[in-house]
Amino acid sequence: MNGILTIKNLSKSFGKKKVLENFNLNIEKGKVYGLLGINGEGKTTLIRMIMGVIPPDNGEIFFKNKKISFRDDTYKKEIGFIAEESVFYSWMPIKELLSFNASFYPKWNTQKANEYLEKFSLDPKTKIRHLSRGMKLKLGLIVTLASEPEFLILDDPTSGLDVPTRHDFLKEIIKELSETGTTILFSTHIVHEIEGIIDNLGILKFGNLILDEDFHELKNSCKRILLTSEEFLEDKIKIDGIITKKTNGNQSELVVYPWTEEKKQVIENLKPTSMEIKPLNLEEIFISFAS
Amino acid sequence: MIEIDTSSFIPFYEQIKLQIKTRISLGIVKPGESLPSIRELATLLIINPNTVARAYRELEREGFIYTRKGKGCFVTDDSTALIKKERTVILNQVFDEAIEEAKKLNLSPSEIKKIFERRLGLKTEDRK
Repeated sequence: MNGILTIKNLSKSFGKKKVLENFNLNIEKGKVYGLLGINGEGKTTLIRMIMGVIPPDNGEIFFKNKKISFRDDTYKKEIGFIAEESVFYSWMPIKELLSFNASFYPKWNTQKANEYLEKFSLDPKTKIRHLSRGMKLKLGLIVTLASEPEFLILDDPTSGLDVPTRHDFLKEIIKELSETGTTILFSTHIVHEIEGIIDNLGILKFGNLILDEDFHELKNSCKRILLTSEEFLEDKIKIDGIITKKTNGNQSELVVYPWTEEKKQVIENLKPTSMEIKPLNLEEIFISFAS
Repeated sequence: MIEIDTSSFIPFYEQIKLQIKTRISLGIVKPGESLPSIRELATLLIINPNTVARAYRELEREGFIYTRKGKGCFVTDDSTALIKKERTVILNQVFDEAIEEAKKLNLSPSEIKKIFERRLGLKTEDRK
């Protein structure tokens, strides 16, 4: 295993509903892993198990090649976690919250925390209950980055935020990436915003990853094929890897993965009137696979 | 302003390379001048720093830029001459695309040629 996080055969059900079934995942050190899935497919359940908030029914989770056991908190000191709604003690002033957190983390960087406070114009004396949603996210970011995590988990951190705040947040994540090369697991609903950031892409559906690929290779080999023809072609196209297909009159549209020269030849032999090969962006890839 | 087109066939690092070359050829950045740091450009584009690093690494290998440790990346003196050579390559790509489009419209080579010559005439007249 050369992954910083490795998950083997993880299963979890709530009542009769199987959320994850024999789920496997490997995230390599220094990579940014994008995790997508429509609501209710188990992204947050997965993250909660990694964070040791709920126990799995079956399977194993390894962090830095060490098996995590439920209720063992030691590994969490090396993991940073930012979620949609960070939970803080609302009566605490910012300053107190930071020193409270500092006591938990051996690598706590006070200077970094102070620099960020200044950068975000947060007054250390402000009580948390008086912060806006965007300011709370920035505070969560400070707490997380000051703990100098080796692994960062982002669970839909920017949902419900306005565009400028989201941009500020992502910029800080990029800055952290370029300074420390930390490993990131990034789960989000705002799919397009991670397009340029991720190294790997996983799409969660029916309790497992229906796609788990190097994102650059995926972008290279996943194609949309637009065909027009005199006769009805759809049923004649016998190639593997058709993710979606649509036909409208004499026009057909296919999303094919992986797209190869051989497949191109097969379609050309059917003599369509025209064939166009187009790339897909992350959002289009996600829609094709998840629907 | 460097921009990334997420719906393009061209990989992100290639897009960055191409745009930096364009800026050199237009004289927006001149030999000896510095490029934004990897972190600055990555933050600006909200893109993985490794992607920017790859673009810079390749530009350096191709002789367009050089790195001075701790100081950043700079445009080389040879860069303008190198870009002149590349102009043909870039134009080939553009023409290839146009020809593909023309084929889709069932135009014959002589028709394509006629259209090209007419456009060229129109555009060069504009300049006079």
